Amino acid sequence: MTGLVYKEWKQNYWFILSMLICGAFPLLFLLSEKNGISDPAHINDGRSLGLIIGFLLAGGIQTMVLKGDDRKLWGYWITSTSDGFKGFLRVKYEMIFGMVLLFLFSLQMFDELFCAIAADIGLTEVGDISNIGLPLIFFQLLLRAIDIPFTLRYGNKKGSLIKLIYSLVFAIILSAMVLTNFCNISVILFDAYEKLFTGDHLSLLFGVFAVSVLVIYYLSYRISCRVYLKGVEQYDH
Amino acid sequence: MTTKKANAKRLAIYLLIVFAFSILLIILRKPISSSETFYFFIAELFCASPAVASLITRTVTKEGFRDMKLHLNLSRNFRWYLLAFALPLICFSASKLIPIIISGHSDWLSGFTFGNILAVILMLAAQSAVSSVSLLGEELGWRGYMNQKMEPLLGTVGTCLFGGVVWGLWHFPIDIANYLEGYGTLSNSLETAFGRLILLVCFGVFLMWLTKKTNSVFPAVVAHFMFNMSQTALMSLLSQGNIPENADLGMIASVFEYVTMILLAVGFMTLLLYERKKAPKTP
Repeated sequence: MTGLVYKEWKQNYWFILSMLICGAFPLLFLLSEKNGISDPAHINDGRSLGLIIGFLLAGGIQTMVLKGDDRKLWGYWITSTSDGFKGFLRVKYEMIFGMVLLFLFSLQMFDELFCAIAADIGLTEVGDISNIGLPLIFFQLLLRAIDIPFTLRYGNKKGSLIKLIYSLVFAIILSAMVLTNFCNISVILFDAYEKLFTGDHLSLLFGVFAVSVLVIYYLSYRISCRVYLKGVEQYDH
Repeated sequence: MTTKKANAKRLAIYLLIVFAFSILLIILRKPISSSETFYFFIAELFCASPAVASLITRTVTKEGFRDMKLHLNLSRNFRWYLLAFALPLICFSASKLIPIIISGHSDWLSGFTFGNILAVILMLAAQSAVSSVSLLGEELGWRGYMNQKMEPLLGTVGTCLFGGVVWGLWHFPIDIANYLEGYGTLSNSLETAFGRLILLVCFGVFLMWLTKKTNSVFPAVVAHFMFNMSQTALMSLLSQGNIPENADLGMIASVFEYVTMILLAVGFMTLLLYERKKAPKTP
């Protein structure tokens, strides 16, 4: 297993370390703009925009670590080793989880630094955005839990296309259900939305969502284990 | 050099570095209080200092970076990860809630509804999976390095006691920060420091057992995170109840604050000694 960790590190250390830069984006975005920090009205817009850019960029980089291993020869070889393809996939999942954590750590650390700088120049009313970081991280984990099995089953290019088709079909079906109020779904969704933003339910709903995401991430690993060898058959075509 | 001498030398270097970082918080008190940015850098450095010290020591003594206990070992040890999550929460719940119930103030616990408790547990579970990693900076040093070097020199009981005291003393600059800033009295600060010292010595036994059992620092990281967060979570639930502003349970609250942790320490110390006795002896 240590060998696989070493291989992933040697192959992807730039991607892994770039998570730190992605987390610094809200701060870098403000620093890059003239009067970015000194103008209080501008601060939250700049930070939010930097956060969104950093989040999207981090997500893109996290999927890039799957590139390069979608080769038939590699798939057969790793299956024949003592760790097997399950060990290989486990290290991949752990690495991507680690990258997501690194992004969160960086985001929170640079946000604290920003708040400290802001306090030193007299902007005491600036609050931290770390609270947004946590839901974002779970959303990112959910996206990766969906991405990885598709990429492993169909390869990089085909996987992205098939994922897009599935997402579109899902969005169309959901929209149709909402528009036709199938099984009273519009009312159920509206109630859930209302509850989400009332204080009592916020932490419970978020807790359920966050723990579900962790379970989904694990299930994604199990699904990947099931579909990996089928995917290997189709690589290099 | 014999193994014992080498261990003693490595331990001495490690402790020297880690306490040098700790003392920085006292020496640089003035610039820290005048600049938030400066405070940020020093605080980050302080939090990561056990890990930094262990890395520096490993480099200086050329012992290499093996056995840092950085493997998750999740599949074989999932139940111990669950224990790391649950036990601090149970201990702190017992230490806070039992005195309230015994003193006949159950009405203070109106915030403890099923929904609220479930929300707290789920939030803590989610947070411990993603946010606990920030405590790797401490655990990589204390459990991942110091305990390993200390145990051959002081034995299991000695490591638990002396290691816990070292861990507690490292927090000392935080405990007396208020006094140095001009708030509170020295006796209050020392009381806080001594209370923390007892809790850390006791909790350190559990963390040491976890690390040895799983051969990984990550369960200790989760348990440490839960040690910090359980208290906050319980306080948030208590604050939703009808507690009068001048509420004071007196001696019973102080006793229960330590009793649960002492019981935890005794239990895991027994387990540590039993497992050591059971382990095959190496020549």
